[in-house]
Amino acid sequence: MLTVAASRTTPTGWTLRAVVSAHTVAIAGQPVFAGVYLSGDFDSLRWHAVGADVATTLGYLQAIAAIVVWVRLRQSWPFLATTAVVAAETVQYFAGLDGALWLHLPLGVMTIAALVVQFVAVWRRPLLRREARDA
Amino acid sequence: MREHDDGRDLSRRRLLGIGGALGLTAAAGLTAAAGLARRPSFTGAELRSAVPLPPAFRVPLPLPAVLAPVSTSGEADRYEITQREASVEILPGVRTTLWTYNGTFPGPTIESRRGRPVTVTHRNELPVPTVMHLHGGRTPAESDGYPTDLVLPASRPDAGSPTGHHTPAGHGMGAGHGMRDPRAVVTRLTRDYTFPLDQRPTLLWYHDHRMDFTAPAIWRGLAGLQIVRDDAEDALGLPAGERELPLMIADRAFAADGGLDYPALDPTLRDRPGVREPYLAGVLGDVILVNGAPWPVHEVDAARYRLRILNASNARHYELEAVGDDGRRLDLVQIGADQGLLAAPVTHRFLPMAPAERFDVIIDFADVPVGGRVTVVNRLGSGRARDVMAFRVVRRAADDSRIPRVLSSDLPDWRRSDAVRVRDLSFRAGRMHGGRGWLIGGLPFDPARSDVVTRLGDVEVWRLVADVHHPVHLHLVGFRVLSRGGRPPLPHDAGLKDTVSLRPGESVEIITRFDGHRGRYLFHCHNAEHEDMGMMANLEII
Repeated sequence: MLTVAASRTTPTGWTLRAVVSAHTVAIAGQPVFAGVYLSGDFDSLRWHAVGADVATTLGYLQAIAAIVVWVRLRQSWPFLATTAVVAAETVQYFAGLDGALWLHLPLGVMTIAALVVQFVAVWRRPLLRREARDA
Repeated sequence: MREHDDGRDLSRRRLLGIGGALGLTAAAGLTAAAGLARRPSFTGAELRSAVPLPPAFRVPLPLPAVLAPVSTSGEADRYEITQREASVEILPGVRTTLWTYNGTFPGPTIESRRGRPVTVTHRNELPVPTVMHLHGGRTPAESDGYPTDLVLPASRPDAGSPTGHHTPAGHGMGAGHGMRDPRAVVTRLTRDYTFPLDQRPTLLWYHDHRMDFTAPAIWRGLAGLQIVRDDAEDALGLPAGERELPLMIADRAFAADGGLDYPALDPTLRDRPGVREPYLAGVLGDVILVNGAPWPVHEVDAARYRLRILNASNARHYELEAVGDDGRRLDLVQIGADQGLLAAPVTHRFLPMAPAERFDVIIDFADVPVGGRVTVVNRLGSGRARDVMAFRVVRRAADDSRIPRVLSSDLPDWRRSDAVRVRDLSFRAGRMHGGRGWLIGGLPFDPARSDVVTRLGDVEVWRLVADVHHPVHLHLVGFRVLSRGGRPPLPHDAGLKDTVSLRPGESVEIITRFDGHRGRYLFHCHNAEHEDMGMMANLEII
């Protein structure tokens, strides 16, 4: 029997949604700063670096939120997907610092695409506890 | 609920499929990027020589002759140089026609003393107009070799003159380039260039700087060295005499007839500037010349040597390392940069060098066994272009040279707070005159436009951003590197420089004081092809 409360997203789920949303916004800024920088605007490199710090930090927060979702809601896919994005972002960070643009550009595009998919996934249906859903 | 779950399972399977497809696409994309990317990256395209190339490390290293002055009386030492064609044997058994200063490549070396003015009379016997510029010189504007201050040849009086009556119409990229420059000072046949040389002792180089045709002119041989010395440097006890070696490194490619190959749109180098499309990013050769000899070898004592290295290549970057027979790398102890001695020595295992950069380096062969060979290789080069030259240690010898811990104490210590202005300048590819070219701040070079106007004595910070490799050179002044890529400068950025190497996507902050002389100067990319295709701008000091 489903109660009304159980069919709604819990605070745990809302936290994941919030972090994924913030993460998506932060990462969307990265190509903007990169493009403005390459137009010759020196300060945008610093914004690109700040954006990298913010996005990477949000990635780790998202991993924590996803672990909580896994524990509380018994759903593992957010954590697995987040791990992939965090791994990509870490490689991305050092590829950027090293100037390995052949890796930095395509990996950046792919990371954003992956995060957009996650954004859709966490918002398209309620994040429910597995037992509640399966009951 | 069961139906719902079935739907979920189906969508989960589908999701896995979608995820797998996306994962495969990502992996394929990254693999393609890794496979196609130039690693290490370089900017330009390499010409292949059409003649058999000699083996490396057979030809002895030539040392450019020191030019004798025609007069040393009065206020200045006077020299005369004739720019003329010459047939030279660069590859063994192959005659190559070059454009030269006094018949040799490199041209003769001018030895000068700090504060002792030098006047060089250049006589142009080439079939094209020329302009001579002393790279790194603190030179009054009228002798700095502005690209339209032409010395016309006798044969074609008005060819290519910016003040000439007709500019050939209809040529592509440089169409607007034959533009008139009302400030051009054009002379016929000869011109006196006067250098006060009131500057820190260092290795300078002189080369052609004609509007639109600098790259092919240097490629054909118009380059030579000038050394400035002073008593303070002489007193340091650095390796000297036969143990001081100027090394001008340049890449070239040879055509089937033995001449130099170059992808110029106009082989006469008179009217239509630029290179063929594949070489727009820069022309690289597959033969590495040091002092005009292919992959030379030099016999040395087991002692310290002072190597005064210039990258005189049009577009090729080097990352030099010296490797012994046992594979061990020798330290390269940098004592000087473009604009003279560092404050203290900096030890490198390898030395990145962009076009027009100079590095003053001590190498110690004391630990190399007699008979041993030390090869200088370019870590960025591939194939034959990986080798540069070699040293063969032939005898033990006494060595009374030294590397002082303090090399100089007169380096300027400009601080950010001294700067009255900060400028952002982008160096990138773009459209110019209906074709492809290279832009500074979004604009191709126009001699009639003042891009940067500054006051004599002002300190400025310039923040340079590049899309691909751009070695950025300022005329008249030396500068210090404040940051690279938003982080502290690299070890090889030390000292006072006049050319700084920007790598793809990289930014650099430099600081300088515009002093010495007022007038119209230049700053530009020293990838010579980029420079000819728009990447140059005016620096007006008022």
